[in-house]
Amino acid sequence: MADQSDVWLVVPVYNEAQVIADVVRNALETFPNIVCVDDGSRDGSADAIRGSGAHLVQHPVNLGQGAAIQTGVEYARSQPGAEYFVTFDADGQHQVADVLRMLERLRAEPVDIIVGTRFKGDDSHIPLIKRVVLKTVVAISPRLRKLKLSDAHNGLRVFNKKVAEELHITLNGMGHASQIVDMISHRGWRVTEEQVEILYTEYSMAKGQSLINGVNILFDTALKTGSKR
Amino acid sequence: MLIQFLLIGGVIVLLVFFLRHHGTTKTAAGVKIGFALFMVLAAVAVLRPADVSMLAEFVGVGRGTDLVVYALVVAFGFATINTYLRFKELELRYARLARAIALRNAEPPKHDDAVAAVDGNVDGNVAANAEATVDATADADAKDQARSA
Repeated sequence: MADQSDVWLVVPVYNEAQVIADVVRNALETFPNIVCVDDGSRDGSADAIRGSGAHLVQHPVNLGQGAAIQTGVEYARSQPGAEYFVTFDADGQHQVADVLRMLERLRAEPVDIIVGTRFKGDDSHIPLIKRVVLKTVVAISPRLRKLKLSDAHNGLRVFNKKVAEELHITLNGMGHASQIVDMISHRGWRVTEEQVEILYTEYSMAKGQSLINGVNILFDTALKTGSKR
Repeated sequence: MLIQFLLIGGVIVLLVFFLRHHGTTKTAAGVKIGFALFMVLAAVAVLRPADVSMLAEFVGVGRGTDLVVYALVVAFGFATINTYLRFKELELRYARLARAIALRNAEPPKHDDAVAAVDGNVDGNVAANAEATVDATADADAKDQARSA
């Protein structure tokens, strides 16, 4: 297996004490560098992370997933030798094998960021309503179509140092996924996507963001200002 | 009716301008001037209702009161958006502050013995982790105590 010491996994964590230690332990077998950003959890997630072998960065208050990803990336990019970055969910939905494949492509192909997609192969395991909503998002977004992205809200992304340096997520909540797409198109990052498998376990289904949150995402995205501060 | 064009057109123009340029000194000043004008108009409406009615008739609303109500609705809308954007801005600053604190207090993993202890632990719950760490080596034990102290 290739040496993965130039890769950093960024894992935003919010109330995942039950599973986070296992997720980290599993990923650590392949990736030596993992930073977990505990986003003000109240269930002992931080302690679980402390024992797991991952780096722990702890928000003093809950800020939202977008803010946690930004914090994790800022931490990781300041570490010596960090070249590749992966955003990875804490609930065990993502597969290490998918990450490896994406990294291999990132190292070999002229791209800056690779986004995971659930929709390139057989997507019948995805809950119907999720499928419909996610596909609608793509259908009504000219930007996604232009970038040829089929899954706007996949939490699994790998990117290089250029993207990490230029990443500025300002939408703290779940709107960050659209904001990243925004940055891809504005900053001209070369993007492609890779088929990944999402495990819909009972746990992740209960934890996953509810679709009604899409309303919040739309609102935040629509009212994003031109303010550069 | 003239008023429909005025209201809808005005709202759209203002909204676009607002969202694009919020947070600049110019816009902030504009908002304040707008607010002052609004107050002056309110005073005029109270003092000289006949003038307002005349204006209302001109733009096609009917009564002066109706015109005032329309203006109020629009003003309320903008006040709400202004507040929302302001909160967003504060939230972002607050996030940056929290991030700075978080990054300053980052904890790198405790070293290999702790990791090895966790590796041996299948259960994965926090208490068991702590126990396993203590059991592992005297060194880990010392570290653990130092941590809880």
